[in-house]
Amino acid sequence: MKLLVAVKQVAALDEDFEIRADGRDVEADFLIRDVNEWDDYSLEEALKIKEAAASPVEVVAVSVGPEDADEALRKCLAKGADRAIRVWDEAIEGSDSIAIARVLAAVARKESPQMLFAGVQSSDHAFASTGVATAAFLDWPHAAVVANLTYTPGGDTAVFRRELEGGVLHEMQIECPAVLTIQLGINTPRYASLRSIKQAAAKPIEVLSLQDLGIAAPDVGESGSLSRVRRMYIPDKGRAEMIEGDVEEQAARLAQIIKDAIGGAA
Amino acid sequence: MDLTRILFEDFAPAAIGLFYVLACAAVATFGYGVYVQVRKYGRGVPVAFSGELLARFKAMLGTVLTHRTIARRDRMAGGAHRLIFYGFLLLFLGTATITLDYDILGPLFGVHFWHGKFYLGFSLVLDVAGVLLTAGLIYMMYRRGWLRPPKLDYARPDRQPADPDYDRSAYRREDWAFLWTLVVIAATGYFLEAARLVWLADKPDIWDTRWWSPAGAVLAEGLRAAGMTNTGGAALRLELWWLHGLLALVFIALIPFTKVKHIFTAAGSLMLRDPLAAQRLPRVPEEEKRVGAQYITDFSWKQLLNLDACTKCGRCHEACPARATGAPLSPRDVILSLREFANKTLSSADLPPEVELDVHGKGPGQVAMETLWACRTCMACVEVCPVAIEHVPVIVQMRRKLVEEGQMDPQLKKTLQTIHKTGNSFGESKRKRAAWTKALPFPVRDARKEPVDVLWFVGDYASFDPRNQKVTQGFASLLHEAGVNYGILYEGESNAGNDVRRVGEEGLYETLAAANVKAMAGAAFKSIVTTDPHSFNTIRNEYPDFGGRYEIQHYTTLVLKLLQEGRVKLARKLGLRVTFHDPCHLGRFNKGYEAPRDILRLLGCELVEMGRCRANSFCCGAGGGRIWIPDPVGADKPAHNRMREAAAIPGLQVYVVSCPKDLTMFEDALKTTGNEGKFVVRELIELLREAIEQEQAAPTPGVVAA
Ligand code: SF4
Ligand code: SF4
Repeated sequence: MKLLVAVKQVAALDEDFEIRADGRDVEADFLIRDVNEWDDYSLEEALKIKEAAASPVEVVAVSVGPEDADEALRKCLAKGADRAIRVWDEAIEGSDSIAIARVLAAVARKESPQMLFAGVQSSDHAFASTGVATAAFLDWPHAAVVANLTYTPGGDTAVFRRELEGGVLHEMQIECPAVLTIQLGINTPRYASLRSIKQAAAKPIEVLSLQDLGIAAPDVGESGSLSRVRRMYIPDKGRAEMIEGDVEEQAARLAQIIKDAIGGAA
Repeated sequence: MDLTRILFEDFAPAAIGLFYVLACAAVATFGYGVYVQVRKYGRGVPVAFSGELLARFKAMLGTVLTHRTIARRDRMAGGAHRLIFYGFLLLFLGTATITLDYDILGPLFGVHFWHGKFYLGFSLVLDVAGVLLTAGLIYMMYRRGWLRPPKLDYARPDRQPADPDYDRSAYRREDWAFLWTLVVIAATGYFLEAARLVWLADKPDIWDTRWWSPAGAVLAEGLRAAGMTNTGGAALRLELWWLHGLLALVFIALIPFTKVKHIFTAAGSLMLRDPLAAQRLPRVPEEEKRVGAQYITDFSWKQLLNLDACTKCGRCHEACPARATGAPLSPRDVILSLREFANKTLSSADLPPEVELDVHGKGPGQVAMETLWACRTCMACVEVCPVAIEHVPVIVQMRRKLVEEGQMDPQLKKTLQTIHKTGNSFGESKRKRAAWTKALPFPVRDARKEPVDVLWFVGDYASFDPRNQKVTQGFASLLHEAGVNYGILYEGESNAGNDVRRVGEEGLYETLAAANVKAMAGAAFKSIVTTDPHSFNTIRNEYPDFGGRYEIQHYTTLVLKLLQEGRVKLARKLGLRVTFHDPCHLGRFNKGYEAPRDILRLLGCELVEMGRCRANSFCCGAGGGRIWIPDPVGADKPAHNRMREAAAIPGLQVYVVSCPKDLTMFEDALKTTGNEGKFVVRELIELLREAIEQEQAAPTPGVVAA
């Protein structure tokens, strides 16, 4: 019995950052890397199933990304994942969520897990589509934004709950193998102590290429994507001003602001 | 004249034989008990000791003979214990002398010295020793029975009355049995002596020298006055002889099984004392698979011996800030719990299965995680313990296990992850670490780029906390004006790790220490200064284990020197009535008591000490990572307790601190205890700035008057 967990090494912006020369991303130097927060929860969900299981369950973490994604995978290994797989190829650079999903689907075919967990979305790009797109490539049933899961390893179905608007819960049943995207708060992710992370450094991370997965280079990267980034930029900041003083002063200031605005437009 | 004391005179050979059999049985029981205890300690992890055995022995002997540690903060108990100790020691040596003469030198070499003048002097000394012993014992009974100091109350803050190990009446019974047994042994000894004198009253050489045993002689006079005859004396002597002898033998036999064993365990514990027990926590060996203490056998044999040395004196219990504010922690009870646990699990010939050795939990003798997380690693317990028990490493080693399992407050978990990610506990970008320098009218050197004399290790709180940044800027101005060639590491600096280590996140600590050691290796400097006592402690005492050996001082010593050399000039005297709070990591941990006080004096402040000061300073509650764990809502906090203590000083104007975390903790506590407006909390640097600056803009007294 196997559970596959997709994880992403996301980027957060440092205080003052600069946009890359080509204007399509932030300069890598200004990014702080970490595991996508949602993926902490999906890994925890898989580990919980593993720990509660009577028969052996293998938890495999998979990430599509360059070498620095190893850090995310190592955290998964530190927490108790049995194996870690990283897929990379120069050609993958520039992929959108659809192209990444194609890669993940290939990994899922190779590993044939009972279930694939992905986070609802990634905190940096927030497409919220990688998980469901993977399901589409696999032609597996899927459910998004899962907030509670009951699954007995080896079972043909799983029961889960999704939160809808206004606090309504949606309880559903799904046939396995399936793809679930996991919502924050479904569990309490465990702590990976630094020592366990260091010890996980000794565990191997399997690195797969496109060839290993039988994917042609044009199927990933920009050519394999449905979208591409045109530019990344910081919009002009809007301004707010608290107008103070008595009514007359306030009116005068307001009139001034309007005049300035009209003047600027003219 | 050839006087000696009769021993077995008029005894049937069978009786003498019986006595020797019983004596041998007592010694054998004693020996077996010692074996069981030693076997128990042997089940701990082996430890290597630094320092010579002889030096350690001498240090221990000094402590024991002077009673230095027992007399601290409790002179009466120290005095009474001294009486008991010396009384007991003399009586013990006396008995040993008799054995040497009668059973060893006599039979083997025909040598006897226990007679004549020696014997008379000997009698006098032993009589006096008995009086000392009895006086001490009686005072201790008075103390337990009537004075009843709160520290001798064995009620546990970490258990509920319904819990199976809540009841501590067995300890109380043992205490009283111990005192009474010794009193009865002493009393029977005196009456025995008196009865012997009455019996032999018609032998002039004995009767005439009776005042060499003054206590016995007084009693003998009394007995004779009450009408006791020679034969009556003889009969009484025989009965008392057996009673006294048997009691003494039982006492000896029971030493390893009762609190009496503290004679040995306390001496051993003192010998093994680590003067840096709380300041420099033990490393986890690289190859070690498991981290921290989960099983009782994960403690070192020295720690197991420590557990047995505790005399329940309650000094740690009294000093503990967690206990004082109602947290479910008493350092005494942690030690006693583990002792009970060790006795239960490690005393038989075979070790029980591993699950029964787990010290974590709520069962009898186990330690709950709430208890462990309540500790602020303030070292008050270690510092005051008269028998050198080292609670802090025990607690931190157990926490390491909790951290490994993620059993901690969610907020703390988040902070640790943040520190891992950003290198600081504020979750700020590394680049912002030196943002406080931007407001200064002069540049601060980057020690990574140019050599400096003094490397200033700023630390997280002083770097990122807005209130503390003002102090940090003040110190920079002071260094600048004094012409000190100093620099900082800018974003090269990481959290020093002192508190991370005390939380029990050893892996993260190793990472931080390594990062800082590496950053400092890339800078050229002569010595380090810091305003943060926490950073000060770990860099000074713990970085050497990670290859970082530096000369480091807390800012107070550097500033004092600058003042004395006239490099920092004061424009005016402040004339404030102040009190000084010794930060744990500066005072107790590193004995930096004088410099801040000297500076206050130079500033023209009137220093009024709080009751708990210097080594007995009361933790603000931020230590051991507790600054990252929210205190329970509504509960009393150590900082509150401290504010109330300060508020009791009449006319207090400024509560002076010299630690960034103290400033945060106490300014908050000042408000929440409703003392705002009565006095203010100031960092010593702020007072220095006030005294240095000419203009009198918003001086502290103004704030007080407002
Ligand atoms: S270190 Fe401080 S808080 Fe912790 S047990 Fe000792 S006295 Fe109490
Ligand atoms: S641990 Fe030390 S200070 Fe605390 S009760 Fe025991 S002997 Fe006294």
